[in-house]
Amino acid sequence: MSANNDSIQKTLIVAILLCLVCSVIVAGSAVGLRSKQQENKANDKRAAVLQAAGLYEQGKSVAEQFKSKIQTRIVNLAEGRFATDAELKEIRDAGLTVDNFDQKKSSKTPALSRALGSDEDPASIKRLEKFAAVFIVADGDNIQKIILPVHGYGLWSTLYGFLALQGDMDTIVGLGFYSHAETPGLGGEVDNPKWKSLWVGKHVFNDKGQVAISVVKGGAEEGNPNQVDGLSGATLTSRGVNNLVRFWVGDTGFGKLIDNLKAQGA
Amino acid sequence: MSEIKKVLTEPLFGKNPIAVQILGICSALAVTTSLKVTLVMCVALTLVTACSSASIALIRNQIPNNIRIIVQMIIIASLVIVVDQILKAYAYDVSKQLSVFVGLIITNCIVMGRAEAFAMKNGPVLSFFDGIGNGLGYSLMLISVGTIRELFGAGKLLGFEILPLVKDGGWYVPNGLLLLPPSAFFIIALFIWALRAWKKELVEKAEFKILPNTEHSGGH
Amino acid sequence: MGLRSILDNLAPHFEKGGKYEKMYPLYEAVDTGLYSPPNVTNNTAHVRDGIDLKRIMITVWACTFPALFFGMYNIGLQANEAIAAGNGTVLEGWRELLIALLGGSGHNAASLWDNLVFGAAYFLPVYATTFIVGGFWEVLFATIRRHEVNEGFFVTSILFALTLPPTIPLWQVALGISFGVVIGKEVFGGTGKNFLNPALAGRAFLFFAYPASMSGNAVWTAADGFTGATALGSAAEGGVTSILNSGITWMDAFLGTIQGSMGETSTLAILIGGAVLMIMNIAAWRIVAGVMVGMVAFSLLLNGIGSDTNPMFALPWYWHLVLGGFAFGMVFMATDPVSASMTNKGKWVFGALIGFMVVMIRVVNPAFPEGMMLAILFANLFAPLIDHFVVQANIKRRIARVS
Repeated sequence: MSANNDSIQKTLIVAILLCLVCSVIVAGSAVGLRSKQQENKANDKRAAVLQAAGLYEQGKSVAEQFKSKIQTRIVNLAEGRFATDAELKEIRDAGLTVDNFDQKKSSKTPALSRALGSDEDPASIKRLEKFAAVFIVADGDNIQKIILPVHGYGLWSTLYGFLALQGDMDTIVGLGFYSHAETPGLGGEVDNPKWKSLWVGKHVFNDKGQVAISVVKGGAEEGNPNQVDGLSGATLTSRGVNNLVRFWVGDTGFGKLIDNLKAQGA
Repeated sequence: MSEIKKVLTEPLFGKNPIAVQILGICSALAVTTSLKVTLVMCVALTLVTACSSASIALIRNQIPNNIRIIVQMIIIASLVIVVDQILKAYAYDVSKQLSVFVGLIITNCIVMGRAEAFAMKNGPVLSFFDGIGNGLGYSLMLISVGTIRELFGAGKLLGFEILPLVKDGGWYVPNGLLLLPPSAFFIIALFIWALRAWKKELVEKAEFKILPNTEHSGGH
Repeated sequence: MGLRSILDNLAPHFEKGGKYEKMYPLYEAVDTGLYSPPNVTNNTAHVRDGIDLKRIMITVWACTFPALFFGMYNIGLQANEAIAAGNGTVLEGWRELLIALLGGSGHNAASLWDNLVFGAAYFLPVYATTFIVGGFWEVLFATIRRHEVNEGFFVTSILFALTLPPTIPLWQVALGISFGVVIGKEVFGGTGKNFLNPALAGRAFLFFAYPASMSGNAVWTAADGFTGATALGSAAEGGVTSILNSGITWMDAFLGTIQGSMGETSTLAILIGGAVLMIMNIAAWRIVAGVMVGMVAFSLLLNGIGSDTNPMFALPWYWHLVLGGFAFGMVFMATDPVSASMTNKGKWVFGALIGFMVVMIRVVNPAFPEGMMLAILFANLFAPLIDHFVVQANIKRRIARVS
């Protein structure tokens, strides 16, 4: 290395040239691949929706399956109805998109969410968003299945997933989590297909129409339509799943929407 | 040619970056729970090391000495971002599991170490192969660790069932510890132990020796 | 001295240059197990006591006997009671055969003999596995490294076996003790150079590797289909009320007629062994006292703070003492001379750290109801550091005196 490499002039030239070259490469790859990445991200969530609804077909394009089978609707949680145009505009004004509604982000946006008091927050989610995107499988105007996004705290992490219900707004089609960090082998067994299959066909509400679905430690009663076995060795994760499911089908969550849709269907 | 062969094979055992130089341990703990993720990480790291070493060697005579570390960092960081972007676009599932660890290749000591120790003093071709060699040494360890962890921790390899698990009606009880990060420490440590038992020259001289305090008197 | 002369005649074959030179550790173990070792100190003599390492280890081993025998009785008691109450059925298999062979007819919870035989059929195979597998590693390393087989393994093996649940599969026992001996001890150079208690290292390995066999509600009583929370488990659910509701009084927990690890349930039996150890100056009373002080102080503090959602905050110290592995860990594990602090002041700090951590883990950590194992391993890591500070403080004090 010659000494003149260390002159201020040379140093500046090298630094500037290097920065230019590197930034062009980085920016080029980021811009060039962006659309593909966003597609991937959206498809990841769509696949989770399809899986919860039991509609996922291996080997077919997720985007096409989703498009042909599922409609996305934004819901006003407090009112329990689909969002009006004015409300959709409100969402856009807050900087979110409607087509690909990012619920996680909306719960962090002050205009679109509110803080929950500890007494109404059994799932430990801290902030409840005003709007949520639900996914509907419909046959004309007739709702066949509805897929609700749910999340809540387990033992170590927040679990994000989907709960799918039949058109009667009561029978469970499936429950699945697409993001969590529970202990592998214990709480991580929420991903176990065997355990997930226990949920299928259970009922959210009892005869009197109260939320009755629960995860029972030590084993559900035989034939009880509202109880699911807890995960062995994962008391706290099981409790977390219990709390979050009950929270989201309850009145603070999607309860009002469920009531309204039931009334329409009847 | 023999130079290239040397820089390619030496890092596999005798100068293995993980087992001998103890570099790049953090990612070895984090990404080795499944073999698929491990493989992607290995390819990513090998490519980054090779390309960054080659590009740094190419401009090594132009790099001002007082900003050389910054220059190396910028080149490495750019390459890592490119790799990360490509993974996100073409291997989304894997990139989700790798999460921040692709980004953390930037701080992986192997890359910086090769850039500073080798690429600054050698030509681009040799540096490229040195990068490949070190990447392979890293990969060798990671793949071994990943194989053990996935096989005995989950009974699978690359997602295919090898040992049928008890909970699915098989006979194998998975070892949950292997799915937790500390197990990679144990496995790497056992590898280092084995390597040192095999290549005695790697064992450092003891700093001191405790003198025997007793002697065998012979009689009773 | 017939035996002595036989051994002396054999000696040349095992000593340097002999036919079985490689097997020397085995010969040495038999010889010094029977007679006092022939070694003499060759620099400044510092005889203090007639006792040596071997006798210390054997004494510790013998001091676990109250806990061991009570433990065996209790395994039988718990299982037979569960079977009589119809909460579980007899686990068919070779152990049943063994029980019948030993004359334990029927499963009568009122019969001392039935219970003891039942317990023996569960404990002894576990202990034998521990001893054979652990002993194999011990001898293997001794042979390769040309050092002597250390009696510390007697203690390690019995302590390891006593901390396991009765239903643990034997292959897991073998894996656990292998990990404890090899990774917990031999990789660091063998007894005296390990910084973790090998028995606990082995148990921790099993705890994280096979949590389903080491924790939960189904493993503590050896009856098929039986599930029931441990006393500590019910405390985590609803505090003392919850324990009392499950039909366990403080006295039950103190005497040890509750379900739990094989040798950990009876605080009384453990304290009897512990008292002997402390009177003989083998277990450091400072460590035991430190653990008690740390545990009592921190649990009193938590009682004072209180919590609406976590009933463990209100658990009084005398319950902490009798639940889970606290007493066993305090008396037998924390006082391991190799992995504990060496200095007298250090022992107090070391003990207090364990007492503090065990309450911390039990009360605040939601994932692990029991904290003794992790607390001791944690404190083991700090033992050399604690000693370092004690020594430095002492040096500083003495320098100040001369200047």
